[in-house]
Amino acid sequence: MIKAIFYKEWLKVRWFYFVANVALLSFTIYSILKISRVIKIKGVEHLWEVMLYRDAIFIDMLKYVPLIIGILLAVVQFIPEMNKKCLKLTLHLPCSNMKMVMSMVLSGFVILVASFSVSLITLKIFLSNHFAGELQSQVIMTSLPWYIAGILSYFLVSWVCLEPTWKRRVVNLIISAIVLKIFFFSSKPQAYNDFLPWLMIYSISALTLSWLSVIRFKAGKQD
Amino acid sequence: MENVIECKNLTHYYGDRLIYENLSFNVPKGRILGLLGKNGTGKTTSINILSGYLTPKEGECLIFGENIQNMNPILRQNIGLLIEGHVQYQFMTISQIERFYSSFYPKWKKEAYYELMNKLQVSPNQMISRMSCGQRSQVALGLILAQDPDLLVLDDFSLGLDPGYRRLFVDYLRQYANEDGKTIFLTSHIIQDMERLIDDCIIMDYGSILIQKSVDELLNEFNCYNIKVPDGYNLSGDYNLSSDKALYNPSITNNSLEVFSFLSKSDMCVKLNEMKVPYQEIESKTLNLEDAFIGLTGKY
Repeated sequence: MIKAIFYKEWLKVRWFYFVANVALLSFTIYSILKISRVIKIKGVEHLWEVMLYRDAIFIDMLKYVPLIIGILLAVVQFIPEMNKKCLKLTLHLPCSNMKMVMSMVLSGFVILVASFSVSLITLKIFLSNHFAGELQSQVIMTSLPWYIAGILSYFLVSWVCLEPTWKRRVVNLIISAIVLKIFFFSSKPQAYNDFLPWLMIYSISALTLSWLSVIRFKAGKQD
Repeated sequence: MENVIECKNLTHYYGDRLIYENLSFNVPKGRILGLLGKNGTGKTTSINILSGYLTPKEGECLIFGENIQNMNPILRQNIGLLIEGHVQYQFMTISQIERFYSSFYPKWKKEAYYELMNKLQVSPNQMISRMSCGQRSQVALGLILAQDPDLLVLDDFSLGLDPGYRRLFVDYLRQYANEDGKTIFLTSHIIQDMERLIDDCIIMDYGSILIQKSVDELLNEFNCYNIKVPDGYNLSGDYNLSSDKALYNPSITNNSLEVFSFLSKSDMCVKLNEMKVPYQEIESKTLNLEDAFIGLTGKY
């Protein structure tokens, strides 16, 4: 059964997964090429200096990409479920409704983690060839909240999409925007380091929000 | 007789608007029961409650003896659901949707689905989003037949279908229902289709059930009388025909009074005499289900 649920989710998002991976990798590779160019022109020592004294990380253009991917994945995955109330078909399947919804959201989560991992690993491999451990960690740890924001945006937008009424959807959307803003308050490198485990817990717990929307859907809430 | 569906004292409101109050009905095993009612009488509300997508303000619905709100999910293997508009996953193809559903149903009959698909002459790679409503109805029907459930719940199965597809749908359902112990609960706004299919009917009015009977019983017992009355006779005399509970929807055109009733012709004559209706001739007309429906609920 779980395999079948993953199959259905994959059918919905496979094209988007391909496009999102290409987009994320393109941005990652572009950032890498930008750093390589500076190394070639000014030397790696100059880059180290700029990173240490001017708090530069050179991958700023990646900042909002995971967030956008998370939002779009939720839209691509859950709008077809709400279209003509197809979710009724899903919830009528002989499987626990909670298990069904959580499997759907988890499959999106797995896809996002796979996509983000490729980007992070590519970045890490490049950085390890040119930078000391501390500088590598400065770049990775600064970018980590952006990827976590991508995952959280996926959970939050899933919650918004599955909500059956427009009024509540707008409220959920405003709450989501406020919650996501937390990840982009500071642009200082490693500003979120101490806070990172909490951000992760807080983001993962948002997984359950979709279930709240489904409970409302099942109760027949409508505008 | 064992009941597959039992709805007890259902009360539901949308905001302040009462849909119905203390509505109770049963669907016995092996019967095809049609829920008939004008728009807005709560047919889809009843289907939504029955399929667990709406919590009634009061009352409960049991299917196979279990409350629909906390039913064991495995029981849903035995309930086929057709959503209004023959909705199916638009992003799947003919073969993908079959592959997806087959994982959930142990009694899955792949051949029943593909038999219907072969009749449609569509490729297994055909996207459901690119199919017509008629073709989509056959996909939905094929999936339900492959599931082979003991209970079918169909919400407005004829919506959007041309006469050919409607006929095909009804024929397949009839064939399916002829198998042992299969129960069907359905709604449709096209009553002619229902007449060819259903054993029993529930006719709903705003807020309540008007009758629940077998179709044969209804058509045998319910009559339409055309009564010749003198020129100038109107319904608002000393005895108001409209307020008599035994008479349904009386109306006068020229000097002909039309009235529907469960009374026999002789009882009707007695009633007319009691009410001092100056009738000259009385004729009873054979009714079909649509006539009976209009007779009970009125044209407006």
